[in-house]
Amino acid sequence: MTARSLQSGAPARERAATPSIWSRIWQNDAPGYLFLLPWLIGFIGLTVGPMVTSLYLSFTDFDLLTSPDWVGADNYIRMFTNDAKFWTSMRVTMFFVIFSVPLKLAFALAVAMLLNRGIRGLPLYRALFYLPSLLGASVAIAILWRQIFAGDGLVNKLLLLVGIEGPSWISNPQYSLWTLIVLSIWQFGSPMIIFLAGLRQIPTDMYEAASLDGASKWRQFIKITLPLLTPVVFFNAIIQTIEAFKSFTPAFIISGGTGNPINSTLFYTLYLYQEAFAFFRMGYASALAWVLLAVVGVFTAFSFFTSKYWVHYDE
Amino acid sequence: MTIRIDRRHFLMGSSALIAAGAAGISPAFAQAERLRLLFWGGQARADRTYAVTDLYQAAKGTDVEGEFLAWNDYWPKLATQTAGGNAPDIIQMDYRYIVEYAQRNAIAPLDEFVGGALKLDDFDADQLEGGKVDGSLYGISLGANSVALMVNTTAFEEAGVAAPTRDLTYDEIMAMGEAFNSANVRGGMKVIMDGSGSEPMLDNWLRQKGLALYTADGKLGFDADAMTEWFQLWSQMREAGVCVSAEDQALDTGPHETTMLVLGKAAMMPSNSNQLVGFQAVMQDDITISSYPRLAAGVGGGHYRKPSMFFSVAGSSANKEAAAEFLSFFVNDPEAAAVLGVERGIPCSAAVRDAIAPTLSEQDQIALNFVANLGDLLGPLPPSPPAAAGEIDISLLRTLSQEVGFGARSPEDAGPYFVKEATAILNRA
Amino acid sequence: MSDVPAKLTVVTGKGSPGRSRLTSLLIHLGLLAASVVMLYPLLWLLAASFRPENEIFTSASILPSVWSIDSYIRGWNGLRTSFGVFFTNSFIISGLSVIGNVMACSMAAYAFARLDFRFKNFWFAMMLLTLMLPYQVTLIPQYVLFRQLGWVNTFLPLVVPKFLAADGFFIFLMVQFFRGLPKELDEAAQMDGCSPWRIYWKIIIPLSMPVLATAAIFTFIWTWDDFFGPLIYLSEMKSYTVMLGLRTFTDSTGESDYGGLFAMSVLSLVPIFLFFLFFQRLLIEGIATTGMKR
Repeated sequence: MTARSLQSGAPARERAATPSIWSRIWQNDAPGYLFLLPWLIGFIGLTVGPMVTSLYLSFTDFDLLTSPDWVGADNYIRMFTNDAKFWTSMRVTMFFVIFSVPLKLAFALAVAMLLNRGIRGLPLYRALFYLPSLLGASVAIAILWRQIFAGDGLVNKLLLLVGIEGPSWISNPQYSLWTLIVLSIWQFGSPMIIFLAGLRQIPTDMYEAASLDGASKWRQFIKITLPLLTPVVFFNAIIQTIEAFKSFTPAFIISGGTGNPINSTLFYTLYLYQEAFAFFRMGYASALAWVLLAVVGVFTAFSFFTSKYWVHYDE
Repeated sequence: MTIRIDRRHFLMGSSALIAAGAAGISPAFAQAERLRLLFWGGQARADRTYAVTDLYQAAKGTDVEGEFLAWNDYWPKLATQTAGGNAPDIIQMDYRYIVEYAQRNAIAPLDEFVGGALKLDDFDADQLEGGKVDGSLYGISLGANSVALMVNTTAFEEAGVAAPTRDLTYDEIMAMGEAFNSANVRGGMKVIMDGSGSEPMLDNWLRQKGLALYTADGKLGFDADAMTEWFQLWSQMREAGVCVSAEDQALDTGPHETTMLVLGKAAMMPSNSNQLVGFQAVMQDDITISSYPRLAAGVGGGHYRKPSMFFSVAGSSANKEAAAEFLSFFVNDPEAAAVLGVERGIPCSAAVRDAIAPTLSEQDQIALNFVANLGDLLGPLPPSPPAAAGEIDISLLRTLSQEVGFGARSPEDAGPYFVKEATAILNRA
Repeated sequence: MSDVPAKLTVVTGKGSPGRSRLTSLLIHLGLLAASVVMLYPLLWLLAASFRPENEIFTSASILPSVWSIDSYIRGWNGLRTSFGVFFTNSFIISGLSVIGNVMACSMAAYAFARLDFRFKNFWFAMMLLTLMLPYQVTLIPQYVLFRQLGWVNTFLPLVVPKFLAADGFFIFLMVQFFRGLPKELDEAAQMDGCSPWRIYWKIIIPLSMPVLATAAIFTFIWTWDDFFGPLIYLSEMKSYTVMLGLRTFTDSTGESDYGGLFAMSVLSLVPIFLFFLFFQRLLIEGIATTGMKR
């Protein structure tokens, strides 16, 4: 059984049409489009228009209050040749993505595995671990984070017990971004729940068979759990990366919308938001958005390309 | 007007797919006696404002529908509604944004209503002037306030230092700071926060030197040397431990609960006269207000009576005259004034001021007296700042002051850099 | 706590009973320690909501000097509209969103995961693309669109997109899970002449409870926590949501009511926590418990 699921790695797009009772093309296409209909209506009716508009606006000078003026590629040219903050914010965001996503996913998977052992009190633990994610990014979180990571905060009080005098983590430009990475990891509830749901879908009889064969737990994890979990791992990795690239609220709340100290938490979308709503440059902000889309798009396309080598679907 | 239609036409076109199907639904502007009012503030302000709209409804039969938001939420919503052609009739406006909105016709000039629907007979001249952009009246000041130092008097007592008076100078702060440090108040409270990134404090300091933050034609009103001197002044205080460290100062992100005053890290901080009540509410120590420090004894003219906020009328409003009538009621009616108090600043009509003075609380009295008796500290009202002033403050001054504070840049380097970057921002906008 | 069926103990340990008890004890200790870290903010929030206003930011102690429920009373009734109205609005919006999202997204996901049709990959790529554009730049065009439809100041801009599967996150999530379901099942059903609709309704949906419950939980919580949509589209106090109500407590330019903010923040967590507790039961039902053989 294990072997069969391991070798079935071909994604849907390469699959030949399954032998079906419908022969005509119309009959082939109709069911799919019928099921897709609500999404299609929403996509064409509500989403495409605003997206195309923002693409158009990225080629204009638009101050929100008067009509946009066409400026060609000026916004894009300025971004790459004459905007230090663009590069700063890109660097901050990249750093955040690279460190927060893998750590958060590893943490979420480890806790999900731990909680999937059928231990007593599972629902309680699961609820407790999800709590930080319930809090979202409210004003309360900003206050709390300062109480923990300020110079006289909780972390430094603990460090003082072992004789270390720590800096003010949250307001020191060298460390401030790390406090946001910690915040992101701390709110690992969503990927954890998704991992748990994925683990629940792995049939227990596979493990039973494996332990009868005398496979060690580590081997079971490598040979059964991980391969069968790859669709979910793939999903979480893609989604968390996209979300991290677009991450806005934590930095907005904690830095009061400034991205300070010294722009060390100036996330890309925070910069975009400032340009759009504080400095009235919606045209430029739209250009920033489409550059982000291109970056994230390339990353996602690459992930999908590699997925056929490591994501295992049951087909 | 044509411009506005063009924009809406364009945005409509972009969503033509749906708009076509919904052409019949085009929402009619309320032609009836109903005005929409949008303002920022907390509950205290909302309660007072709603009480006035109730009074107005009872007196004139016009329904004013008020909505309030916190400062950070207010501007995106207003911009979205304005861009969507759905701006409220009456808009609370800030000194910082009034030029931006006025120059783009998002708010309407009110001159035609003055003397008619809008009675401003005994309105303070400087407050009227403050609401003008390019010579036309775009905003009615809802109150005057002044910059002021919040002073934690309890901390001063603990330090055994006399609380500052209106004659406080920057040099005296240095001496006070040493007294604070040797008294070791509460494990290291400093006498003042790091004000190098505070735009009002820089402005006040420049004005005492006979300079200005911005000139009337929207240029920078000072040179690199002045800026270098400013950064040097604060670097000295930082190194002497008179003001708080850069790390502590960076905790301040704007909201009250992040300020050095509330966190107990500094005994004085620059703020505004109308915020005394707000700060006192979240502090156990007694606080009061005093003037910003002087360059030297006898040097004044740094302060001015700033319109704390305006009411403006949307350029797209179909009920401009009715809106102007409401504004008139808001700033003149004695009953309304009694309800509003000095929550938005000191009322601009002399009659109103006299009427409400006896009814005020102790803290409100302090604020009123402070603004009314600035004496030699008072200078002329500066021209309204250029549209890019906000960007220079948020993305240049504050960040640069942190760079100097953390030692990433020297004051001698930061001065010329500021002027170069600020000029670039002004030229771009 | 007791709703974990014993048969769920999936991995049969090989060690002696004594050792596994020790392991289990260690795990519980570790989990409990971690829970404290997770709980700390909530405890702090809870304590802050019972503190006198001027103590919130200045007191070093975790426990309030005086316990007072003033903040709750003030917070609930402080605004012109009672918080009860905000809760009702949030329930309506979040509840409808759950129904819409689970229905519309599972249909789209079924199409992507199990059916073949032309341009499928194109549409899938488009769906992913909508996830990547920061919402800040589509906000204004979308506002204009909803205003043309006459939907501004109603719940429609917040709810209708959910019924049209506008959040690609959930489609993608369900696609990944549907593709993990054994394909033999629908093939067999197809041989028996079942329509795609019946396969979707009788096979896919019942077998996908964990992911549907996940989607329901996330939709409810995220809709409840969302404030930008309501901020832009709702303009009358009586149609405000809880999150919007919370944001009116603090303003950096004037007086704020932190006590009220924290008290109402605590209350606002109750419904989403209960929703989570209720729906997480569904998370553990699924293939694992139905004991289905493949």
